Amino acid sequence: MKKRKPNPYRDQYRVWYPFHSPDDPCPPIAKQYVVPPNQFLGFQPPNLPQFSKHEALIKGTLWPIFYSPYPPKKWRDKDGT
Amino acid sequence: MEHEKRRALLRKLQEVDFVLVELNLYLDTHPSDLDALDQYNHCALEREAIRSEYEERYGPLMHFGHSSNRYPCGWNEGPWPWEI
Repeated sequence: MKKRKPNPYRDQYRVWYPFHSPDDPCPPIAKQYVVPPNQFLGFQPPNLPQFSKHEALIKGTLWPIFYSPYPPKKWRDKDGT
Repeated sequence: MEHEKRRALLRKLQEVDFVLVELNLYLDTHPSDLDALDQYNHCALEREAIRSEYEERYGPLMHFGHSSNRYPCGWNEGPWPWEI
């Protein structure tokens, strides 16, 4: 299956693997970090789609494009969304 | 039941306030966006309606002249908005 190009607004997590030496007793770790969607949108264009008032308060932003839930580790699936 | 209605009204006020904050920040950088301006003004009027309805029914929300006080259910007694 062709690896789809990651959509930066949805797959906000990136993973990197610190060097793991053979003498390291602990298992190798995968560090994850979020690149928030506003990095990919320079000057905000007008008339972007908006959440309803109720949902905006819950989601923490008025525009779905900026929604960045930052889910805790245990809720994240493998690729981190 | 009255408690639920009061909480629902406060929630509505919070929702409109959040939209106003977002639009305010947006209008700081996009003063020429007239649609957002209309939405902002519309939400401001809506907030005013919700605020006056709340204060009429349950008492003042803010101090220092932003809300009118009253007796008996003034700010001396409460419950305060954050105590609900």
